[in-house]
Amino acid sequence: MDWGEILFRTLVFPGVSFLLLVIFATFYLERKLVADMHGRTGPYYVGPYGILQTVADIFKILQKEVIIHREADKVLFLVVPAFAFLMVSLVAAFIPYDKDLWIVSTPYDLIISLALLTSLPAIFLFAGWVSKSKYPFIGGIRVINQLISGEIPLWLAGLSVALWYGTFNYVEIVEKFDIIGFLVNLIGFAIFLVAILIVADRPPFDIPEAEQEIVYGFLTEYTGLGYLLLAGAKFLEVFVLAAMTVTLFLGGFKGPFLPGWAWFFIKLFFVYYLAFAIRASTPRIRLDQLIKLTWKVLVPLALLNIVLIILLKGF
Amino acid sequence: MYKGAQIITEPVGKEGDLMILNWGVQHPASGPMRIKVWLDGETIVKVENDPGYVTRNLEKLLEYRTWESAIVNVERICFIDDLGTLLNWALAVEKLAEIEVPKKVQYFRVILAEVGRIVSHLIGIGSMFGALGVATPMMWVLAIREYYLDFLEHYSGYRISTASIVPGGLKAEPTKEDFELLKKAIEETKKRWPEYKEVFKDNPTLVERYKGVGVIPKDLVFELGLRGPVARASGVDYDVRTRYPYSSYEDFDFNVIVKEEGDAYARFLVVLEEIEESVKIIEQALEGMPTEGKWKVRVPKKIKAGEAYSAVEWSRGSMDYHVISDGGTGPYRVKISAPSFMNIWALERIAPGHKLADLATIFASLYICHGDLDR
Repeated sequence: MDWGEILFRTLVFPGVSFLLLVIFATFYLERKLVADMHGRTGPYYVGPYGILQTVADIFKILQKEVIIHREADKVLFLVVPAFAFLMVSLVAAFIPYDKDLWIVSTPYDLIISLALLTSLPAIFLFAGWVSKSKYPFIGGIRVINQLISGEIPLWLAGLSVALWYGTFNYVEIVEKFDIIGFLVNLIGFAIFLVAILIVADRPPFDIPEAEQEIVYGFLTEYTGLGYLLLAGAKFLEVFVLAAMTVTLFLGGFKGPFLPGWAWFFIKLFFVYYLAFAIRASTPRIRLDQLIKLTWKVLVPLALLNIVLIILLKGF
Repeated sequence: MYKGAQIITEPVGKEGDLMILNWGVQHPASGPMRIKVWLDGETIVKVENDPGYVTRNLEKLLEYRTWESAIVNVERICFIDDLGTLLNWALAVEKLAEIEVPKKVQYFRVILAEVGRIVSHLIGIGSMFGALGVATPMMWVLAIREYYLDFLEHYSGYRISTASIVPGGLKAEPTKEDFELLKKAIEETKKRWPEYKEVFKDNPTLVERYKGVGVIPKDLVFELGLRGPVARASGVDYDVRTRYPYSSYEDFDFNVIVKEEGDAYARFLVVLEEIEESVKIIEQALEGMPTEGKWKVRVPKKIKAGEAYSAVEWSRGSMDYHVISDGGTGPYRVKISAPSFMNIWALERIAPGHKLADLATIFASLYICHGDLDR
């Protein structure tokens, strides 16, 4: 790759511009698909099929006055959302959309991605802490509680894949993917799916921002650009986690006839659809029930899965 | 001149280590009331209700109305089920004026009251799911509710706040098309409800969240005077419709749903199953509707001095009016006793010990309407 291509990839596709498009697209897709499950129409009037509704909403949010709580730490309050956005965007750099369509590819892709994702709860806790307000504070504490429980199954299930294919590099994992690999990692896939819902605060695990309990969690005090960056970071978090699922368990860009990136996005759509269907059908569970679920079911299962994969790998 | 709020310099937290949370007035799940919550971590230690943010002084306003124009104020007790409150007003005034309305009117009033109950219960089910952050059930029940609202709109001209029941009869004669719309609504309910009910009732996450939460023992029902679905879910078999039948309720065959558990899930089930009973009552009333008689009898402009007490089983429980007349064109004094105001005090007793997350579910399961909470 020469410098021009690196620059293009970073700034246009699959870099910054593309990620902004992802926020718009997933926001629209979520509204439209969930509305369909509700028996509603969803966005309709703004633009063809209502696709410009999201654009209108985002520009409305940008126009909002930035209100900073009197007691809040002003600098940190403004900086934290940018950090959240940055951290989660970095993860997106490792995702291979096609055989040679990525920004960065290292021998340690998976480890770096997971490590970057693990930094997010700390940032969200900080967002709640610097708000110096009660509901954001409770939300921040809940993030930590939830993510400690959620990240461990996520890591274990993700690493079991690396164990089976013998590499941390995403492109190599996808290249080595076959039907046997898919079947062997089926348990890991199930654990990973539940874990990404927990880590990304998706319903039914949207406990840190449970509207009916603590208003909007750590996002409560944010308005305008700060809110947009934090909410965008959450949208991107779902995106990178779904993309990781596709890469690790569903063979990423691999598939017949169609070009690689098309397969990637078809598979990604299925993961998204699953998340939206779960959101539309499952009520939220309580924090103590979640912790029970992760530590008594998911973590032991993930450990057993690793043992199973080691045994299978041995034969 | 406003100089800005005082900055608190001394440390907050005089009540030990507890965090005091204002759950409301502006909170997505509280509605227009404040619930002051003392929290130890995530556990609720103490709860204090603070209603009164939507007080409209309806009792006082009623004193400036005539007997008939009072319906406008009466139905604003709660907009979700205004028909029960209207029916009760008509009953109280008719008792005061010693008027008997024709059987036909009584039957149609029963239909209207039960439509109100169905409409209210559907929203109740939706908001009980809404407290768990899932909006799909709400959207589904609103789709059914729409058929009933179409009926109400065609009959009275309004979808909510219909002003359709007046002392002495009905505001308007129901036409053939009205009955057809109602039959369509019933049909649509019977077609969709079995599937919906299965989905709602057996939802594993809902059962997990509601079962065993917010148990109201039977003693507490009598101590606080709890009413309606809340009382019936705690094993108290009390329903004004069967205890003190009014408006020909004795003619209809229906079950009073009573559950023994007393938890939030039992309250959910009572509300869920009462919808079917209401549908049964409407069907019977449509079938046995008499044809003779007028739709409205004359009520005197001035009603002789006296007192009347009337109660109906409203969707949220027993709704009682005590009306006093001094021989004038309107009421001298009206005392309204509404169920939500009684039921809300159970929250202070049952919420402590639960997690903060359960506050939303317990509050939703108490089936409060802020309109009749404050009046």
